Amino acid sequence: MKRHNLGTVVSFEFLRTITKGRFWIATLFVPVILIIVFLLVFVSNSSTSESAAAQKDARFSFEYTDASGLVEPAIVQNLGGKLASDDKTGIAAVKGGEMEAFFAYPADPSKQPILVYGADSGVFQNGKYSSVAESILTSSVEGRVDSPQYTAILQGKVSSTTTTFANGQVAGGFNAVVPALLFLAIFYIVILLLGNQMLNSTLEEKENRVTEMILTTINPTSLILGKVISLFMIGIVQMLVFALPTVLAYFFFRSQLNIPDFDLASFVFDPQQMIVGALILLGGFSLFTGTLVALGAVMPTAKDAGPIFGALMVLIFVPFYTITLIISDPNATIVQIFTYFPYSAPVTALLRNAFGTLPLWQAVIIIVELFVLAAIVLRIAVRLFRYGSIEYTNKVKIRDVLGRRSSTAAATSGQAVER
Amino acid sequence: MDFGRTTVIRDLSFDIRRGETFGFLGSNGSGKTTTIRALLGIYQQTAGILHIDGRPFSPDAGERLGYLPEERGLYKKESVIDVMVYFGKLKGLGKEKARRWSHDYLERVGLADKEKLRLDKLSGGQQQKVQLGVTIMNDPELLILDEPTKGFDPVNRRLLMDIIDDQKKAGSTVMMVTHQMEEVERLCDRVILLKDGVSRAYGTVAEVQEQFGGTTVVVDHDGAIPASDAYTVVRDANGRAELEIADDADVSGILHDLVQGGLNISRFTPTRKSLDDIFVEVYGAENGELDR
Repeated sequence: MKRHNLGTVVSFEFLRTITKGRFWIATLFVPVILIIVFLLVFVSNSSTSESAAAQKDARFSFEYTDASGLVEPAIVQNLGGKLASDDKTGIAAVKGGEMEAFFAYPADPSKQPILVYGADSGVFQNGKYSSVAESILTSSVEGRVDSPQYTAILQGKVSSTTTTFANGQVAGGFNAVVPALLFLAIFYIVILLLGNQMLNSTLEEKENRVTEMILTTINPTSLILGKVISLFMIGIVQMLVFALPTVLAYFFFRSQLNIPDFDLASFVFDPQQMIVGALILLGGFSLFTGTLVALGAVMPTAKDAGPIFGALMVLIFVPFYTITLIISDPNATIVQIFTYFPYSAPVTALLRNAFGTLPLWQAVIIIVELFVLAAIVLRIAVRLFRYGSIEYTNKVKIRDVLGRRSSTAAATSGQAVER
Repeated sequence: MDFGRTTVIRDLSFDIRRGETFGFLGSNGSGKTTTIRALLGIYQQTAGILHIDGRPFSPDAGERLGYLPEERGLYKKESVIDVMVYFGKLKGLGKEKARRWSHDYLERVGLADKEKLRLDKLSGGQQQKVQLGVTIMNDPELLILDEPTKGFDPVNRRLLMDIIDDQKKAGSTVMMVTHQMEEVERLCDRVILLKDGVSRAYGTVAEVQEQFGGTTVVVDHDGAIPASDAYTVVRDANGRAELEIADDADVSGILHDLVQGGLNISRFTPTRKSLDDIFVEVYGAENGELDR
């Protein structure tokens, strides 16, 4: 295989994809949607807090009764309220339009609700009555606790850090799961976004009748390998584009967007988990790519390839139906089947690897299985492309292509030579 | 070469000499394209091999091969120049050299203003020109053209023939599959006629003409042509006769005998059977209808 040809194919396939407007439209669609969602969340958060503050500070005429004895009259007076003689009178005043609101504080507000009555001022504005009623009670009680510390604790402003141990060592917990789960996310993104492109990469030669020109110019192995490598590079570009708005949002607009404050330094990068995850990702990607390339070589058009393509896509989602079992009972039969079945193995194994339920020996078997199968499928894909893509409008009979005697055997008999 | 249980090509073997133009002839379905595809490894041949200078052919082996297939197409969504540069690089040209060559070629075939257009924005004939450019851009030593003039109008056909002629002058060996017998007679040094996957004739154009029917003589005359074992009168009307000369007969002896016999002759022109006639003779009889 001429190395410069492999490089030529990679750069041609890569550049012709990323210089297309439609690639960027498709790639930027997700981040644009993310940015729009972030903006909506930001606007919504701002308006919600503003409206809550406005409602808390809303001024309207009201009366109240207090069975609990907790309400501080001074606070009520500040807000323009006054004590009613009884509940009936207060409610009647609201009904009659003489008063805008009436609050009946129960004997035990921790167990009973505050009864709020108000003149209807629209669905969105009616919230001001309960906001003010609750705010009066909260402020009254806070005033009785003579300590900012107690007040903060009562307001729920507390946090905790958890340390767990496994085998005498500090266990990673959730912080160990997230980094390894990234491989699963990458696998999904790459397959979902590039699957169609993998399928079409060989169909294009067939549909455009380029096959004969290309096969007399370059070894099919170089061509297919070049396409696979360029697809991987395109996947990386897409992932970077997708990640950009999330990273920007995290670092610059975290509080505005209510994004949890992850302590990045606390993430646990277990070397074994990370290496296993990367290898399963690479093996799974190679297997799916090889299969889709082979499918493209066999089918006359993308439309004909659709049903099988759909079935392959379903296979990467099927393990999620058993996600609870995968996490809680990895030895369940169905989980074991999904772990070893090649087309469900990447997702299942990546999940188990992230949650720490994939022993090393199983990981080794799966990685070997994926790589060996990927090599076989890629070899078959090259063969199908070489001898199948010339059947421009016909569906290739796989048995015919694979059943032909090997060229090596033919060469031995002095008749044909494998390229 | 077998497809399933059907043998398409049988015991076919031929040489093409350096620098010659070789005609690969046959009716539709006679196995020409299949032979080429098998030789180039596009079909996995049941048996057989293409040797170039004694070495088995491989696209990676460095031979400068140019192949213009019958089924034509390039990457339609890409620009003309990008596709040409891509193939140029695959054929071993540097990027800049491939770009320069493409500019010059497009200039020559009148497509210089189209180099940045996508291929599918070009007409069929224009796409064919680009494809021919891609075929010859590595200055091939062996040029295999499968029905090169298919889809060309007469003007472009002439341009194409000029380009092929230039390649030949530059030392390329040309193998041409065509149905255009006039082109074959004009361009080809040697030919092979294929029928049902078997060679029916192989040699120089003159040798093939000799093989199929030998010599015919057109005679303009007054009087009756006498019968003779040396010739057969194919037709004789309005003072013009066509005589098919027997294999062992001497044309000058026949002229002598006719004059001695008292025939008044104003024209006596020996001709060979045209390739067109030979083609009809070989394929027409069994095919009934020719698709040429």
